[in-house]
Amino acid sequence: MVSKTGKLSSQDLLKKNVLETDLCTGCGACVGLCPYQLIYHDRTVQLHRCDLDDGNCHAFCPRSEIDLGLLRSGLFDSADLTPEIGAVKGYYLSRATDAKLREIAQHGGTVTALMELALARGLIDSAIVSSGPRDFEQNSIKVEDRAGLRRKTGSKFTVSPTVAAFNQISAQNSQNIGVVATPCQALALAKMKLKLLKNDTGNIDKLKIVVGLYCGWTLSAEKFKALLLRNNIDSGTLTGMDIPAGKKALELHAGNVTKLIPFADVQPCIRKSCGYCFDSTAEYADISVGSARFGNEWEEMREWNQLIVRTAKGKELVDLARKCGVLEIREVPVGMLKELKKAAAEKKRTALKNIIKKSGSAKNLLYLKSSDSIVKKYLEKNR
Amino acid sequence: MSKLLSPANCEVLFMGNEAIARGALEAGVSVASGYPGTPSSEIVENLATVAGERNLYVEWSTNEKVALEVAAAASFAGLRSICSMKQNGVNVASDFLLHLAGSGTRGGIVLVTCEDPGALSSVNEGDSRYFARMLEIPLLEPANFQEAKDLTRWAFELSEEIRNVVVLRSVTRMSHASGNVICGKLSGRSPRAEFVYNGSIMDPLRGPVNSTPVIPKHILQQEKLKKAAALFEKSPFNTYSGPRKPELLIITSSACFLYSQEAINMLSLQKRVGILKLGCTWPLPIKLLKKHLKSTKKIMIVEEILPFLEENVKTLAADMAGETGVKKYYGKMDGTLPTVGELNPDLVAEALSKILKVKYQSLPAGYLREIKKIVPMIPPREQTFCPGCPHRASFWSIHNALQLDGREGIVCGDIGCYALAGLFPSCGFNTVRTLHSMGSGTGIASGFAKLGQFGFDKPVVAICGDSTFYHAALPALINAQHNRADITFIVLDNSGTAMTGFQPHPGLTVSAVGETVPAVDIAKMCKSIGAKVTISDPFDLDKTCKILTGFMEESECLKVLILRQICALSPEKKGKKKFLMKVDEEVCRGENCGCNRLCTRIFRCPALVWDRIKKKAVIDDVMCAGCGVCYSICPQKAIIRTEAEKK
Repeated sequence: MVSKTGKLSSQDLLKKNVLETDLCTGCGACVGLCPYQLIYHDRTVQLHRCDLDDGNCHAFCPRSEIDLGLLRSGLFDSADLTPEIGAVKGYYLSRATDAKLREIAQHGGTVTALMELALARGLIDSAIVSSGPRDFEQNSIKVEDRAGLRRKTGSKFTVSPTVAAFNQISAQNSQNIGVVATPCQALALAKMKLKLLKNDTGNIDKLKIVVGLYCGWTLSAEKFKALLLRNNIDSGTLTGMDIPAGKKALELHAGNVTKLIPFADVQPCIRKSCGYCFDSTAEYADISVGSARFGNEWEEMREWNQLIVRTAKGKELVDLARKCGVLEIREVPVGMLKELKKAAAEKKRTALKNIIKKSGSAKNLLYLKSSDSIVKKYLEKNR
Repeated sequence: MSKLLSPANCEVLFMGNEAIARGALEAGVSVASGYPGTPSSEIVENLATVAGERNLYVEWSTNEKVALEVAAAASFAGLRSICSMKQNGVNVASDFLLHLAGSGTRGGIVLVTCEDPGALSSVNEGDSRYFARMLEIPLLEPANFQEAKDLTRWAFELSEEIRNVVVLRSVTRMSHASGNVICGKLSGRSPRAEFVYNGSIMDPLRGPVNSTPVIPKHILQQEKLKKAAALFEKSPFNTYSGPRKPELLIITSSACFLYSQEAINMLSLQKRVGILKLGCTWPLPIKLLKKHLKSTKKIMIVEEILPFLEENVKTLAADMAGETGVKKYYGKMDGTLPTVGELNPDLVAEALSKILKVKYQSLPAGYLREIKKIVPMIPPREQTFCPGCPHRASFWSIHNALQLDGREGIVCGDIGCYALAGLFPSCGFNTVRTLHSMGSGTGIASGFAKLGQFGFDKPVVAICGDSTFYHAALPALINAQHNRADITFIVLDNSGTAMTGFQPHPGLTVSAVGETVPAVDIAKMCKSIGAKVTISDPFDLDKTCKILTGFMEESECLKVLILRQICALSPEKKGKKKFLMKVDEEVCRGENCGCNRLCTRIFRCPALVWDRIKKKAVIDDVMCAGCGVCYSICPQKAIIRTEAEKK
């Protein structure tokens, strides 16, 4: 649909450049702003046609054109910036002090502990997290207390329309919002912070903290459900899942029972968009948290998280957590940062390779700009 | 007293269909049946209003075939009966009609077909005159309102004279226009129904009624037709007006007679052009035709839609060419007149001016130039569903469910008000992909659903109205179940045959004459077929959409959703608002809202108006039917609904 100004409408740009090119991450940035865009199951649906241009739906999308240089310089201290994993003010191992929380958490319970603290101290009044692990077609939901948070722990490996929830919740009564976000979701929120559009009537100023999650890929709910069905696993009984280091399999927990699905079977269920992702550590969050999967002692490390502090706001929260004894923090083993950077750089190179394969030219990097210095760096290494 | 029962010799203003009904009453009709269809519905409707006083049996039948069967039974029992339908209804009735024409009839029976040249209220321009020729039965065509009455009355006599069914054909401009009619005497008959069947098989009045043995009965049928032709030679309904030796002879019938008369007057060609107006158009009266063909060299045949009369005249003319000489013919076959759409006096006048080289300009000089100036000033107004129409809400949910499903599912449309969604895609939110005859959507859907082995994997949805469900969708639905076609079948149940004026149908507890009758439950019928059945209120958008997305995901079973909400124009609802609707100007963000005018740009209920000065939505209180649906679509919740006080 041609907009009033004769250009392709924002909705059509999204359709052409993101949805139809398999770049959509399902983050929900384009949803909740208008009645036209929806998330159904984990697909972005354009319900009716809209002929507006300069729409937030297109501007906020983490897969519409991005100037990474602008984002990095605008949101972080330049001294902290690294090419591989973005801004680093501090890099630690951490875990929740509360053993009960660790028991129900994916790994060290760091994310839940931080959000609990932010809520308890009134730094935020609402936390947006993804809904329970049993529901693969996830909704992001707002929680306002500790009990609510603890019901939502654990990783689901499928995408939640977290940014859609932010769009909706920030337009309502919540004033101070914290978000737990994957890299693509954190990127969308970061784009909002730049306020690139003059007519931006969003509520991004209500966003107080973003806790990012390391992410290699997410699963397509539809395909994954079919895979579970083929393996005679009732998705309703699942209590959690994980990727143990070195096992090349997805571990499924159903109460006390653990099942393994070979990674070769899981691979086809990965969302196509994940192959074009340039970020594995949620570089545009205030704090990023991942599993401590490096090193040999997986079973011991399993109860710990990696923690990257990226912004001053992030540092404040982590310092507070340490001070009140909510988090236990350790220095990282030697070589771990190097290993993380190596893995992150590899992901960037793979993403660029896939992007060029799709576009057919190194001059067309889809949502990324070849003039961006950080892109240029990995583009050169790619050749 | 109904004007239909006016005393003899009174001059009454009758609509064409009223005149036909009056003609039937003068003939002493006992049974009237039909299926509603524009422009035919008023015949049965009017007879229903006098059923008590005139001791008639009047019914709306499930479909046209059943209607003709009901009327035929009356004829077999010696009563006079009339059966009315629109042009495509004859197609539905035609299988029975073929066999009825073969078996012959007893009491006078007239099949009235009201046709719609130009498809003013149809999705076809069917010309069912060809059925008369194909099935070898007589065809009559009234050319004015008096004839509509008189020819109907005579049709019963003709039917009894030849003991076969007679077709009377009207058109929209005859059925729906009005003119003065001098009434004749109402019949004083009070016949008894008696069906005699124990005579010989070949005894037309005492034997069993069927079309076998076929060959002897077929011979008999053709003799009946010859008898009709002989009667037509002397019929007062075939008239000639004009000079003894016209330069051009117009042969015409039906409303085209009026157009031809007017065209001749407009061009002052009374002394040059004659009109042979035929009230009996099949079989043609040969001698009468020969006499008039001899009188001229040029002949123009004026009729609507297909060149039925032209073909028949030319066939006979070929046989009599030795006596009449070779003529020059003008009509549809040589392109003088169009073979589609309605005719009008202008088109006939233009044809006459070309043939006779008379100057004629239908439009005054500068007319088109002026029109071009005026047209942009006319506010655009689209053909769409009424305010409060349940169909708008239904299509909204169907659209949304299809979008959410994401597999580009298709909707097979059907005939009813909801056909608008097929004719004007935006009012059905661009969902309906096929539109044919009544019930066909379901059959087509059943077929689409079986194309999986050829790679067709889209969800298939069929829609049909409640009246259409009984009329012709039911066999297709049974077909879908029998052949395991996993369609989603949606009944848009607005509790009446709304499009043609709320005639009752088998789902209701009232008959054509207002008697209480048992309702035939759609949900129970579908359940008994083996379908999964759910009922929802289309005004509950969320629930309806959820049911539909669930249905589309569910394979390997036939799914039926009955969307039940009474038509906004139905007598029990009209003028009564359930909700009082208002736009809260404080809450409506107008052009600053991300909604991009969802209410007036996409949903487009005619009662929702965009205030160009305030740049906000407003509700047109006069138009609003108070259904409350727009309350559910405004993302800003700026449309407020309050329960209207019950009076």
